[in-house]
Amino acid sequence: MKILFANHIHIARQSIASSRMRSTLTMLGITIGVASITTILALSAGASKIVIDQVDSLGGNIAVIRPGASNDDTLQGIVQLPIGQQYAASSLNDVDVTSIEKIAHVKAVAPLMILGGSVNGVSEGSARTPILATTPNLEQISGLEVSDGQFLDPDLMGSTAVIGPQLSIDIFGTDQSIGKTVTVKGKPFTVIGILKRTNTPVNYNTIDFDNAVLIDMAEGREFIQGASQIQQINVQSESVEYLGGIITEINKSLLKNHFGQADFTVLSGDEIAQPTSGIFTALAGVSVAIAAISLVVGGVGIMNIMLVSVAERTREIGIRKALGATNGDIISQFLIESVALSIGGGLAGYLLGYALAFVISTFLTFDPVFNLEIAGVALVVSLVIGTLFGLYPALRAARKDPISALRQYD
Amino acid sequence: MSNTKTPPVIVLKQLKKRFGIGDAEHYALDGINLTIQKGEFIAIMGPSGCGKTTLLNVLGLLDSHIEGEYDLDGKSIAYLSAKRQARIRSQQIGFVFQSFNLVSRLNVLDNVSLPLIYKGMSKLARQKKASKMLQSFHLGEREFYMPNQLSGGQMQRVAIARALVNDPAIILADEPTGNLDSRASHIIMQELSDLHKHGNTIIMVTHNPDLTTYASRVITMLDGQIDTDTFRLPIASRTSTKKPLNVTPKTKAKTPLNKKVKK
Repeated sequence: MKILFANHIHIARQSIASSRMRSTLTMLGITIGVASITTILALSAGASKIVIDQVDSLGGNIAVIRPGASNDDTLQGIVQLPIGQQYAASSLNDVDVTSIEKIAHVKAVAPLMILGGSVNGVSEGSARTPILATTPNLEQISGLEVSDGQFLDPDLMGSTAVIGPQLSIDIFGTDQSIGKTVTVKGKPFTVIGILKRTNTPVNYNTIDFDNAVLIDMAEGREFIQGASQIQQINVQSESVEYLGGIITEINKSLLKNHFGQADFTVLSGDEIAQPTSGIFTALAGVSVAIAAISLVVGGVGIMNIMLVSVAERTREIGIRKALGATNGDIISQFLIESVALSIGGGLAGYLLGYALAFVISTFLTFDPVFNLEIAGVALVVSLVIGTLFGLYPALRAARKDPISALRQYD
Repeated sequence: MSNTKTPPVIVLKQLKKRFGIGDAEHYALDGINLTIQKGEFIAIMGPSGCGKTTLLNVLGLLDSHIEGEYDLDGKSIAYLSAKRQARIRSQQIGFVFQSFNLVSRLNVLDNVSLPLIYKGMSKLARQKKASKMLQSFHLGEREFYMPNQLSGGQMQRVAIARALVNDPAIILADEPTGNLDSRASHIIMQELSDLHKHGNTIIMVTHNPDLTTYASRVITMLDGQIDTDTFRLPIASRTSTKKPLNVTPKTKAKTPLNKKVKK
């Protein structure tokens, strides 16, 4: 049996090699499909990994509370994610922050209130500059560092702001902008600190700190008539072992605040990375769907070429049957050939996908990730396509009547 | 030649093969009764369309949609699965075709080792055996030629080598010399008659009456039925039609049966 299998592989190799051009073109469809899947998976794994690494590097004792009920339905997540959360009023407010602060073993709490509006210095900043109102605790929880000056301090007189290094360069033309005045939503703020460059536009705070302007929570509240619209609350526990208990407590007290409505989500560990990379998940989902279409097209290509091959080799099938090949032998021969085509295409696609991912990653701030899952997905996908689309031609070959097959002239 | 003590290799009883349905219904084989003993060399003759090739296909288990009875080695084939039939083709039957039927994209050696694949032999063992077989047909130097680089006679010898590589007991030859000139035909017939002497059962369909002299028994068919059969006739009474075929008769000694007939 083992030898017979080796023979079939040998036969498949012979026949693929005998029509190299055709085989290569057939593989191309699978190559493109697998390449796009590989690229997407490698890059989205890279995006998730960067956030997970951030959380880990902060000690793993962070929990994050976000508005909105937890959403396990991935499809819904893809459809709703960007729009629903940006325009809906947040369900988190100052009362929640205060009650979390009261929980035992909570080391620090930092609310994040993200505002939109114009930020101007000497020159106009981008309209998309994030304005973040928060408390001094964020420095500690998110491991932010100040390269020049100091972090936010509510005790300081007047309106003060800390800005990202890239924003400083964009609106002042220098990263030495301490003491200068930045106009946020029409109100002047004195720059008291410049953040150290992080180069992580993808992070669990969903804020690119290099480009952001940070103001005090009280100032932020003024912009929206004294109310508070908190998009995220970061909680740091005294140590990792308290985190579980704290999360339970947070759930309990927030449920009380929200009159039993679970309109918030408490995340910890790797979960934090998921909503952040949600946009990547969405993108990946769409692209995988497109890749799947190209795989089906590639599979149909394989089926087509296998049918041609069966028709061409009708006489050979007749000869083989006359010489003692069973129907199973003929099925194996053609099935192995189509699987070999699709695995060959898949392998090429896997390599091409990584090449592509590395090219794309030069424009991004994260690198593609190598892991067994992606290789496994590429392998399984090509195996399934090859078997699925090779089955019909193989069955057709096996069903050929040896007598009429032998009568066909080639 | 025929040994009546051992059971016959092939027994056909009222064998019928029908083609078409309804008005177009037509029996290609219409009630054949035939018993073939081990070691016979049978030549089947008859006009085109008399059912010779159909009979050979049925005997070779390529066509099992038949009526009547076909016992191979004392067992009815009606109860054999397709897989068992394939195994019998692989191990007991060797085919030789008029159009050679070599796989054109495989070289001579691979063609000859083709039947061994389905016996589950390893590649090396296959090629060794095929090479040995080719050498006995004086084709040792042609191992790596492609079929289209050979002459018709060489191709047919390769095909015979392929038919024999599994040591089959029965050789079925469908007009093996139909595409060959008389010189090449003679060589092929010599090969077949050598096999016959080694104890193989050979059933050959031919159009050429000259070739029947190599056979131990001649059957003529007409309209799907057996017309004449020399089986029951004493050998001496057979009329030989063997001609020298323009070949120097140095191989004459190889055909003792026909020599006897000539006397």
